Amino acid sequence: MLLITIFGFALIFIGIWGMLTQKNIIKMIIGFSIVDTGIHLVILSIGFRKEGTAPIIDATLSKAEAVSRAIDPIPSALVLTAIVIGLAVTALMLVYAFKMYEKKGSLQIKDFKELKW
Amino acid sequence: MVDPIYIFVIVLGLAFLLSLFDKLSRNLSLFLFFLALASFVYISGSWFISLLSGKEELIIFTAGFKPPVSINLKMGLIEAFFTSLTNFLGLLSAIYLFRKFRAEAVYSLILYLMIIMGINGLIMTRDLFNLFVFLEITSIATYSMIGISSDLKSLTAGFKYMIAGGIASVFLLIGTIYLYRSSGTLNIDSMISSVGLLTTKTGIIALFLVIIAIMIELKPFPANGWALDVYQSVNSGVVAIIASGISAAMLFVLFKLTPLMNENLLTAVAGIGLATFFFSNLLALKQENPKRLLGYSSIGQIGLIMTVYVVLIKAGFIRDSQIVWLISGGLFLNHFLAKAGLFWLAGIIKKEKLSDWASLRTSPILLFAFGTFIFALIGLPPFPGFFAKWQLVMTLAAKGMIFWIVIILLGSFLEAIYLLRWLGKVLKREFQEKFAIHFSRILPIIIFMLLILVLGAYYSTLIFAGNNLNILYLPMLFVFLLFILDFLPVWIKNTLTIAATACYSYLIFPQLAGYKNIFGVIFLIGGVLLLIPGYIKKGKRMGFYPFVAMMYAGLAGLLISKTTLQLFTSWEIMTLGSYILIIRGKKSEPHALSYMLFSVGGAFAMLLGFGLLFSVNGNSLALDSLANVSQAVGTIYLLLGLGFLTKMASIGLHIWLPGAHGEAETDVSPMVSAILLKAGMFGMIILMSAIHSAKIGFVSLPYSLGWLGAITVFLGNLMAIYQEDAKRLLAYSSVGNLGYVLFGLALMTHLGWLTSITYALNHFLFKALLFLAIGGVVMRVKTKNMYEMGGLIKKMPLSFISVLIGIIALSGVPPLSGFAGKWMIYNVVLEKGWYFQGLVVIIGGLIAFLYCFRLIYAVFLGQLKDNHRQVKEAPIALLIPQYIMIFAIMLFSVYPGFILQPVGDFLKELFPQGALIWNEGSAFTQFGYWNGGLIFMITGGIFAIFFLLLFFLNRKAQKVKQFNIVYAAERPSRPELTHVGYNFFAHYKKALGSLSQPYVTKFWDTMSDLFHSSGDFVRRLYTGNGQTYILHILLFVLAVYYITFGG
Amino acid sequence: MVRKIFLFIILILFLYMIFPLISEFKILSQIPDLAKYYLEKGPDELGSANLVTSVIVSYRGLDTLGEVTVLFIATAGIGFLLRKKSRISLTPNRKASEILRTGSAFLLPIIFLYGIFIFTHGHLTPGGGFQGGVIIASGILLLMLAEISWKMNYLILHWVESLSGFFYVIIGLLGIFLAAGFLDNRLLPLGDFGRLFSAGAIPFIYSFVGLKVGSELVGILTKLQR
Repeated sequence: MLLITIFGFALIFIGIWGMLTQKNIIKMIIGFSIVDTGIHLVILSIGFRKEGTAPIIDATLSKAEAVSRAIDPIPSALVLTAIVIGLAVTALMLVYAFKMYEKKGSLQIKDFKELKW
Repeated sequence: MVDPIYIFVIVLGLAFLLSLFDKLSRNLSLFLFFLALASFVYISGSWFISLLSGKEELIIFTAGFKPPVSINLKMGLIEAFFTSLTNFLGLLSAIYLFRKFRAEAVYSLILYLMIIMGINGLIMTRDLFNLFVFLEITSIATYSMIGISSDLKSLTAGFKYMIAGGIASVFLLIGTIYLYRSSGTLNIDSMISSVGLLTTKTGIIALFLVIIAIMIELKPFPANGWALDVYQSVNSGVVAIIASGISAAMLFVLFKLTPLMNENLLTAVAGIGLATFFFSNLLALKQENPKRLLGYSSIGQIGLIMTVYVVLIKAGFIRDSQIVWLISGGLFLNHFLAKAGLFWLAGIIKKEKLSDWASLRTSPILLFAFGTFIFALIGLPPFPGFFAKWQLVMTLAAKGMIFWIVIILLGSFLEAIYLLRWLGKVLKREFQEKFAIHFSRILPIIIFMLLILVLGAYYSTLIFAGNNLNILYLPMLFVFLLFILDFLPVWIKNTLTIAATACYSYLIFPQLAGYKNIFGVIFLIGGVLLLIPGYIKKGKRMGFYPFVAMMYAGLAGLLISKTTLQLFTSWEIMTLGSYILIIRGKKSEPHALSYMLFSVGGAFAMLLGFGLLFSVNGNSLALDSLANVSQAVGTIYLLLGLGFLTKMASIGLHIWLPGAHGEAETDVSPMVSAILLKAGMFGMIILMSAIHSAKIGFVSLPYSLGWLGAITVFLGNLMAIYQEDAKRLLAYSSVGNLGYVLFGLALMTHLGWLTSITYALNHFLFKALLFLAIGGVVMRVKTKNMYEMGGLIKKMPLSFISVLIGIIALSGVPPLSGFAGKWMIYNVVLEKGWYFQGLVVIIGGLIAFLYCFRLIYAVFLGQLKDNHRQVKEAPIALLIPQYIMIFAIMLFSVYPGFILQPVGDFLKELFPQGALIWNEGSAFTQFGYWNGGLIFMITGGIFAIFFLLLFFLNRKAQKVKQFNIVYAAERPSRPELTHVGYNFFAHYKKALGSLSQPYVTKFWDTMSDLFHSSGDFVRRLYTGNGQTYILHILLFVLAVYYITFGG
Repeated sequence: MVRKIFLFIILILFLYMIFPLISEFKILSQIPDLAKYYLEKGPDELGSANLVTSVIVSYRGLDTLGEVTVLFIATAGIGFLLRKKSRISLTPNRKASEILRTGSAFLLPIIFLYGIFIFTHGHLTPGGGFQGGVIIASGILLLMLAEISWKMNYLILHWVESLSGFFYVIIGLLGIFLAAGFLDNRLLPLGDFGRLFSAGAIPFIYSFVGLKVGSELVGILTKLQR
C-alpha cells in the first residue's frame, strides 16, 4: 500500500508543477484539482492495514472480527469530507475564472496584474 | 446560559431556509438575519460575562460521546472573549453593509452568516480536522463574499486569495492526516498529552505543515502578496471582517496549537511574526493607496501580536496568565478595533489616494474617529496599545530580551511614519468633494471608536494598578469634556480652559517641591498666561482646546509623576496634544510630521531606557530608583537622554523645531516654544540629578553633553542670524537658548544648575514675550518676512517696547535678567575649567546680538512700508500677557535673589559645594559679586543720560524721506532688495557659511531616503502575478523549514 | 528554461522535506486505539453496520454537517458570483443526439432509484448520502445534456434544498433533547442490527444529506448552465 502513498505524493507534485508552470488559469485549476486527488489518495493510504477489509459488518465480517480485520474507518470518513470540500473549492475557482474571463477576455494569469506593490 | 452550539444551529437552520423566507419578503429575511447576528453577540457575550465572574468553562460534546471519540467544542474564557469580539464585529459590519444587503441577492446574507459561523467554529473547536472544515467554511464563504463587488480588481484578488488558501489547505490536510497517523487521534487536547508525538520525523513534519498552513493564512512576509490585493480591492465591510475577524480567529487557532510546538517551532513562529511586522511596515512607507496601506499595517500588526504571544510563552509565562493576556490582548484589541474602524472609513471615503482623504474634515465626528484609530495604532495613550506596549517592553526587558524590543520598536516607528504622514495629509490637504454619509455606515465606526476609548481607560486601570491613578484621570476627563463641548464659541471654551488650568494648578502646587516649583510656574501659570491670547480668535476654533488641555495635562502629569510609567504616559499625552497644536499652522504639515517623528523616536528610546531601568533595578517602576542604578548606567543615561533631548531640540535632533515653531499659530508658537521645550529640560533634570556620572566606553556622557550644549548654542544662534522669517529667527534662537540650558546642566555644579534653572524661567518669559509681540506684528502685517516690514514703531509702539525688553533680556545685556545668567556662566566656566566650551558658548552669545539687533531693526525701525500705513497696534488680548511678562522680567532683574535664593537652597541638597553667597542683595562667588538691583539702577541711569542727550540733539535732525536712498553699487532687481534688512548678514555667511550648512538635515534626509527606497525596492517583490505568489508561498515554506530544522 | 530548472529545484527540496512521510511509512499491523474503539463499540453503540457511516454521521457528525454546509456555501457562492447575467452565451444551438435522448429517458428513473437506494442504505452498504446525492445529480446532468431546452423547476429545487438541510439540522438538534448531544443519532431506537430501519436516525440523516447534496449539485449545475 506504500505504492498508493507514493502515487498520491506523485500526483501532488505533478499538480503543483502544473500550478507553477501553466500560464492558463483553467490549467492551473486543473493542477490544483490534481493536487487534491493526490491528497485524497494519501489520506486513504493512511488507513490501510495488512490484509484489511472494509469496515462494514455483513456476512463476511462479523462484529467480533471487526477489530482484528477491518481497516481504520477514520481516514475513509475524512477523505469524504476532503473530497466534497475540494469539489466546492474547484467549482468556485472555475466560476472565478469564468468571471475573470468575462471581464478581461483573457485567461492568462499574467494579464491580471492590476494590483501590485 | 444558552449553549453555544445554538450559534451553529441558528446559522444553519436559518441559512438553509433563508432563501425561502426571502421569497416572502426581503424585510423578513433581513430581520431574521440581524436577529441571528444579535443572538450570537448575546450568546457569546453572556458566556464571556459569566466566565469572567468565575463560572466554569463549558465543553460541548457532539453526538453525545466524549473526545477523542467525538468532536468537542470548548467555551472557555478566552474562547468567549474571541467569539464575543468577532460576533460583535459581525453584527456591526452587517449594519455597515445594511444598504448593500438590502440591494443584493439573498446569497449575500447566507454567505455572511456562514463566515461568522466559520469564525465561531474555528475558535471553539478542539478537533484538528474539524478545524480544517471550519477553516474551509470560512474561506469558501469569504471567497464568495468577495464577489459582492464584481469589478475586475476584486475578482482578481479573490482568485489569488483562493489559490493561496488552496495551497494552505493542502498543507493543512497533509499535516493533519499525518498527525493522526503519529498520534492516533485528531483531538488537539489528546495530541497535546500524547507522548512522543514529536519524536518521529513524520510527527515533526506533520506538525510543521499544520503550523505553516495556519501561518500562511496569517499572511506572513513575504508570502502575502495576495492578502494585500484582497485588502486593497475588496468591499470595505467585508475586508473589515477579513482583517479583524478572520485574522482574530486564525490567531487564536495558532495560539491554540502552541502547546503542541517545540522550541524550534516556537522560535520560527516568533521570527516569522517579527519579520512580518518589520517588513510590512517598511514596505508600507511608499504606499499611496489607503486600503493597501491599511493592509500592510494589518499584516504587520498580526505579525506583532503573533510574535509577542509566542515570545512571552518562550520566556516562560503561562499561557493563560494575566500578563500574557494583558499584553497580547491589549495589542490585539487595539488592532482589532482600529483596523476594522479604518477599513469601514475607507468604504465611506472611497478614495484611492491618501491625500484625498482630506474630505474627512467635513465630518468632525469621523475625523475624530480617524484620529483615534491612527493614534491607537501608533500606540499613544490613552489607548490599549500604549499600555500593552509599555507592559511588553517592561516584561521583555526584565527577561533580558532586548533584541526583540529593539526590532519591535523599530517596526513601530516605521508604522508611525506612514500613519502620521497620512494623518497630516488628512488634516492639511485641500479637498474637492464631500462624501455621502449614511447613519448605518457611521454607527459601527462610532461604536468601535467609543469602545477603544473605554478599553483604553480600562487598560489604564489594569496597568496602573498599585500606582497613583488620579494624576491623569482628572485632566483627561476635562479633555474629554472639551471634546464634547467643542461646538461652543471660542471665548467660552477659552475661559473654561483657563479656569480649569488655574484650578488644577491650585490643586497640584502643594505637591511640588524644589525645582519642580519653577517648572510648575512655567508649565501651569505660564500656561494660563499663554491661553489669554486665545481671545483674539473668533468663531469656534474646533479641535483646539481639547488638545491644548491635553498638552497641559501631560505637562502637569510630568510634574507629579512618581513612577516611570506615569512620567512616560504624561510625556506621550503631552506629545499628542502638542502635535495637533503644531499641525494647525497653515504650512505646518511637514514640520508637524518631523516633530512627531522625532518625538515618537525619542519616546521609543526613552521606553527602551525605562525598560532597561526596570530590569536592572529589581523591577521597580519608581522614578527615584534611577538614583540607585548600578548596571548599564551609560546605556540608560544615553537612551533616556536621547528621548529628552529630542524635545529640547539639541543640535542633531533640532531639525523639527524651526518649522514647527515658526509655522505655528500666533498663540501656539509661544506655548510650544516657551513652555513645551522645558519639558525636555525637566526630563534632563530628573535624569541628571539621579545619575551624576555615566560613561559609555571611555566617554563621559555629561562631558559630551557639555560640548553638545555649547555647539548647540553656537550653531543655533548662527543659523538664527540668516533667517528672513521673524518667527523662524525666534525659533532658531530657541535652539541656541536651550543649548545654554543644556550646557549649564552638563556642568554638574551648583552654579551651573542654578544658571540653567533660572535661565529656563527667563527663557520662558522673554521667548513668550517675543513670540507674542512678533506674532501680533505678523498678524497685523500678514507676512512673516522681515524685509517686508519696517518702521512699525510708530504703528505698534507697545509691541516695540515688548520686543525691546525681550531682546535685552535674551541677549544678556545689563540691566535685565539675562545678564544674571551670563554672569553666572562666566563664573561657572572659570570654576569648572571648561575654557574651550565656555569660549564657544560666549561666542554664541555674541552672535545672539546680531539677530536680536536685526529683529528690532528690520521690523520696527527704518521706513514704514506703504501698505502698512493703516496697521493698528496688536490686540489687547495679546498685549496683556506681554506686559505681565515684562513686569515679571523687571521684577526678576531688580530682585534676582527672590528666585535665585530658593533655587540655590534646594540645589544645595544635590550640589552642596559652590553655592552663591548672598549678602544684602548681592551674590558672591569666588570670582566676584553681582547685585541685580544696583546694576539695574546704574544701567538705567546711563540709559537715561543717553536718552536725554539724544532727545535734545534730535530736535535739529533732518528727516529722511522714504525714497531718498542711495543704493551703493547695487540695483534692486527684486522687491526685497530695497529693504536694507534683507540678507543682512550676508557677509557673515560668506565667512562662516560652511558652519551653518544643513548637514544635520541632510543626514536625516538620507536616513529617510534609505528606508523609503529600500521599502520601495523590496515591495517590487509583489509583482501582482498570482503564480508568483504561489512560488512565494512555496519558497517561504521551504525557507522556514530548512532554517528551523536545518534539513 | 532557467525558471523551469529553478522550479524543479524547489520541488526537489520539497520532496526532500516531506520524504520522511514516505520513508517512515509502514503498513499498520495494529490500527490506532481510536479506530479500534470505533470498530469494537461502533456496531453496538450506534447500530450501523457500515462503520465508516457511523463515524461520518455520528462520531464525527459535526464534520459532515460542515461538509454539507461547504457544499451549500459553494452553491450559494456560485449563485452569488453569477447573479448578473453573463454577456457570453455558451449554450450550443445543436440538439443532442438521438441515442443520448432515448438513453437518458430510459436510464433516468433507474439512476434516481439507485441514488435513493444508496443513501437510504448508507448504514448497511458502502455508500451514503453523498454518494447517493451525486448519483441523483448525475441523472439530472444527463437530462440536461440530453434535453438542452429543459430547465430545472427552481421552486422544487429550492424547497428540496432548503428543507432537507433544515431537517438535517433539526434532527441534529433533537439529539440534544432526546439523546446525549448535538447530532446524536440515538434519538430513535437503534432497531435490529442490519435492517433498513435501524441505526437510529442515521437513515434519515443520510436521506436528508442525500437530498441536500443532490439538490446542491443540481443547483451548481443549473447555475453554471445559465
